[in-house]
Amino acid sequence: MKKLISVFVLTLITIVLNAQFTKASLQASGLTCAMCSKAVKVALEKVSFVKEVKVNIKNQEYAVAFKENSSPSFDELKKAVEDAGFSVASLKVTGNFSDVSVDKDKHIELDGKNFHFVSSSSKVLNGEQTFTLVDKDFLSAKDFKKYSAATKMECIKTGKAANCCLKDGIHTEERVYHVII
Amino acid sequence: MISLFAFSAVAAMAQGPIPNITDYRLDFTVTDIKGDSIKLSSLKGKVLILDFWASWCGPCRFANKHLVKLYSKYKDKGLEILSVSLDDELKNWKKAVIKDKITWMNGIDLGGWDALAAIKWQVEALPSSFVVNKNGDVVAINPEKDELEKKIKELLGL
Repeated sequence: MKKLISVFVLTLITIVLNAQFTKASLQASGLTCAMCSKAVKVALEKVSFVKEVKVNIKNQEYAVAFKENSSPSFDELKKAVEDAGFSVASLKVTGNFSDVSVDKDKHIELDGKNFHFVSSSSKVLNGEQTFTLVDKDFLSAKDFKKYSAATKMECIKTGKAANCCLKDGIHTEERVYHVII
Repeated sequence: MISLFAFSAVAAMAQGPIPNITDYRLDFTVTDIKGDSIKLSSLKGKVLILDFWASWCGPCRFANKHLVKLYSKYKDKGLEILSVSLDDELKNWKKAVIKDKITWMNGIDLGGWDALAAIKWQVEALPSSFVVNKNGDVVAINPEKDELEKKIKELLGL
């Protein structure tokens, strides 16, 4: 039993070390001036894994810091923005990685989430890296169209794993975040 | 929609008595461009527009145009305006004050949304404005352009 636990803990540590998201930078848009309302900032601050939100007026961005070891859900960030009456115009997430190899149209699990790299050449990620989410409702409709054309795999339409994703060991209907580096 | 929201916020704050600028829960001090302090409660006795804005807020900059006209028309009759900026960079604020030709009292406390003045007045969106009578009572919140001028005339006894 002890051995089992230590194996479990070791695995857990490996996962944590493998990839850990630390912060995000988010742009919101809406019919009215998004930055002129406190609503988005307040909504993001209420998300359980969010440590701090800073408004960067110059870049029209919200700098969101995640709590340590919190495995943030990007869908929750999106929901917070939408509940505040705005939509996500851009979401870039930053994390620390060690020996994560990515390839175009490859699905991998990082920090408890599935990722599909839409337009990356094969490379190994180390250190701090930033991904841009290209899923529907995480960017403008126009940009989504552009990125969804970059892959033939159908999972980008729904953000859920389809038959095309199974070869990478992901079950159908699981959430897959589509990203570019 | 924004004005309704702000109204409910301050209505909640009032909880009975009309909010007054001499109430310590609403009083604040901001720093003007010369570095001097402006204390809100010291403005009791004037017909006052308290306006929250920021250089990066497009609708606020547009509203400033109207305030310029209003101020030049009524300043000699006793109208005072205090504009409080939620900018977080002095440079941008100063530039906007000059560009928008703001000659009335205006100050900053550099906290952005977390500026003490903004928190005390429960400012949730920009622009936000409050009309204060000579007794220091808040008598209107986010009035529309025409409504604002009507209220000012009424309070000045014109």
